[in-house]
Amino acid sequence: MARVQLEHITKRYEDVTAVDDVSMEIEDGEFVTFVGPSGCGKSTTMETVAGLTKPSDGKVYIGDREVTNLAPKDRGVAMVFQNIALFPHMDVFENISFGLRLRKYDDDEVRRRVEQAADIVQLEGMLDRMPDEMSGGQRQRVAIARAIVRNPDVFLMDEPLANLDAKLRVHMRTELQRLHRELGTTIIYVTHDQAEAMTMSNRIAVLNEGKLQQLAPPLECYNEPANLFVAGFIGSPSMNFVEGEFTATGFESDNVDVAFEPALVPSVERGETLTLGVRPEDVHLVETADGVTEPTGELHATADVLEPMGDEVFVYLLLSEDADRSMEQEPATAPNQLLMSVTPDTDIHEGKEVAVVLDRSKIHLFETATGNALRHGLTERSDGDSGPTATEADS
Amino acid sequence: MTDERTDDTETDEMPNDTETDEMPNDTETDETPTGTEPDETPIDTETDDPASTDDDGGIPEHWAYARKQAATATDDGATAANSGPMVADGGQSAEADQQQSNVLVEGEDAELDRGPFQRWVSSSISNPDRAYRAMFYTATIFFLFTTLFPFYWLLMVALTPEGQQQDIILTPNGFNPGAFVEVFQVLPFHWYVFNSFVIATASTIVVLVIASLAGYAFGRLQFPGKIPLMLLVLVISFFPPAAFFIPLNDLFNTQFAILEPITGDGSLYNTPGAMVLPLSAIFMPLAIFILTTFYSQIPDGLEDAARVEGTTRLGALFRVIIPLSAPGVATAGVLTFIAVYNEFFFSFLMTDGQPENWAPILEGILGYQGQYEVMYHLMAAASIIGVIPVAILVIIAQEKIVSGLTAGALKE
Repeated sequence: MARVQLEHITKRYEDVTAVDDVSMEIEDGEFVTFVGPSGCGKSTTMETVAGLTKPSDGKVYIGDREVTNLAPKDRGVAMVFQNIALFPHMDVFENISFGLRLRKYDDDEVRRRVEQAADIVQLEGMLDRMPDEMSGGQRQRVAIARAIVRNPDVFLMDEPLANLDAKLRVHMRTELQRLHRELGTTIIYVTHDQAEAMTMSNRIAVLNEGKLQQLAPPLECYNEPANLFVAGFIGSPSMNFVEGEFTATGFESDNVDVAFEPALVPSVERGETLTLGVRPEDVHLVETADGVTEPTGELHATADVLEPMGDEVFVYLLLSEDADRSMEQEPATAPNQLLMSVTPDTDIHEGKEVAVVLDRSKIHLFETATGNALRHGLTERSDGDSGPTATEADS
Repeated sequence: MTDERTDDTETDEMPNDTETDEMPNDTETDETPTGTEPDETPIDTETDDPASTDDDGGIPEHWAYARKQAATATDDGATAANSGPMVADGGQSAEADQQQSNVLVEGEDAELDRGPFQRWVSSSISNPDRAYRAMFYTATIFFLFTTLFPFYWLLMVALTPEGQQQDIILTPNGFNPGAFVEVFQVLPFHWYVFNSFVIATASTIVVLVIASLAGYAFGRLQFPGKIPLMLLVLVISFFPPAAFFIPLNDLFNTQFAILEPITGDGSLYNTPGAMVLPLSAIFMPLAIFILTTFYSQIPDGLEDAARVEGTTRLGALFRVIIPLSAPGVATAGVLTFIAVYNEFFFSFLMTDGQPENWAPILEGILGYQGQYEVMYHLMAAASIIGVIPVAILVIIAQEKIVSGLTAGALKE
């Protein structure tokens, strides 16, 4: 068990920078998830922790040791790979005990620890099977057993559930959480699946284009995203963004005007372009907006497309009639569209004219030029905690 | 009822393909089957079409049916039976028309008076598998003959007693199995075999170790100059080995003080080194290319896993990559072993021909050639004996290769 510290990690390949000046501290016993789109550098960042990739710049500490130049085997880390990577020429016992045998543990000790590890991942009685005789979930368990059997300081998991089917993935997710609780080991987990990130981790590190966007607990990333990227990436479906101008009365755009006290965003000058963000669940029909304490002014729209999901219905609202319905942009980010989620029993159908309000306390304001968050919630709360909290982002 | 029908289709479909090919040939003998079967086929197609699980099955059957009609059309007696299915077809009149046109085309063809070869050719065109099979057997017999006949001839020569060898045709002139014992009495032939075995084994080990390292670098690492280096290796393999001989022979006859404790006189001549060194170098490029290909196919994840688990890169190569590339390693090893074991040029010239000076089998066989007589039967017997170790090796290695191929499914 150990804390992990990354200091200004940069990894450059010939013409691309995969990881760009990433620094973070991961506490002992913490479960941190690296999340981001493909090619954002999350796997490369993890590989620098494992030692499989040597950073071009920066330092890696595990515990109190600097390990930047140590071989993977000397770092006290164990890794579970996306493609599981069991040795196909060894049976389960040999796979799990591979690391122990390399470290010259005596046979009784090896057997005792392998059986213990197999017990934890519920693989009893399968130790003499070959990997190709096992199902995907069983192979994944073997890979996890191989990782835990050495009592590593840090667990690295590189999209371990990506190759499993959806049902098994949910099951393994809870298994991993149980495992984390039982072992208390520091876990770094890479995924592009935000459901995994949200449900399992103590903190989420959102990466994009090699840069760390935000490192915060899951709900903080959701409720107080540090910038446009985090706001758009976390949450499904994605947040609505409306681009507009900062005026004396607040926010104005073609279709959406939200009045607010300019003092709420003291750092912004008049006339600057802002992006307003609001999540689909914070867009309410006027008739069901009773619970919203501080609604904005009404917006009139037409329900364009309905997507019933069972527990909720996503409604694509068209804000203006001269709708340019081009598919070039994501519906949720098109300037005249707004995505709303309503309960299934709502009286709404495609083509219906509706009036909606936004929940002021859930509106996010971003500086369009930099993407940085300016303000979360346009209510005047006495406690000043609604400003942007994470300042790592600099894109 | 349904059971019977499925049985019908199963038994019907298979013979349809083969029968139709032979139909034009023996229309007379097949009169009864052609008379009855067309009655069944339309029923089968009707019941099959809605129920059939794979749609592909319908087309060949349809064609087969058309061909069968063609066959019956040539036969006057069967025309009456032919009208039966037409009526039974009922709603499928369009299909029937198509079949009718096929009947005419095929019928014209079949009217030609053809010899057996022409018939075989036409049936091969409609059923290319036959031609492929014929080609396969021709090629197999040809290669078996060209590879095995020399051994047969060696055996003939070996078994023929000395002095009667001029009249051997296809059977030995007499029977003298004692030659296989005499071989060891005239010369210490086992000693030569041992020398060859040591030289070939040593070369194989050297080649496999070095080519593994090279194959790992070429197959799994990215570094500047990789392609030029591989081309250089390739170019070196194009050099004729004879070009190296004179400088090497000169070198191996030079005495080096540093080698004195090992070779006695300080030169490599008359030691296994004089053959192992040049021969491993000559057969190295091929092994490097084989192993590069195999090692590059091992998924990166497996090597990464091994390294995280506690091996170095080298450890991962020997514990994971090489075991998983067993078929490739076996291939490279067997090829090298056989090539060195069979090599003539360096084996002939790098020793003085004495068994105690590491002369290989080649020198042993040539040793039966005296100044005044050549003991061909002993040379032949010695050659056969010399082949045996390699034959055994290949048989064993082949099993390894096959088991490696079947067990080494690289599923991650």
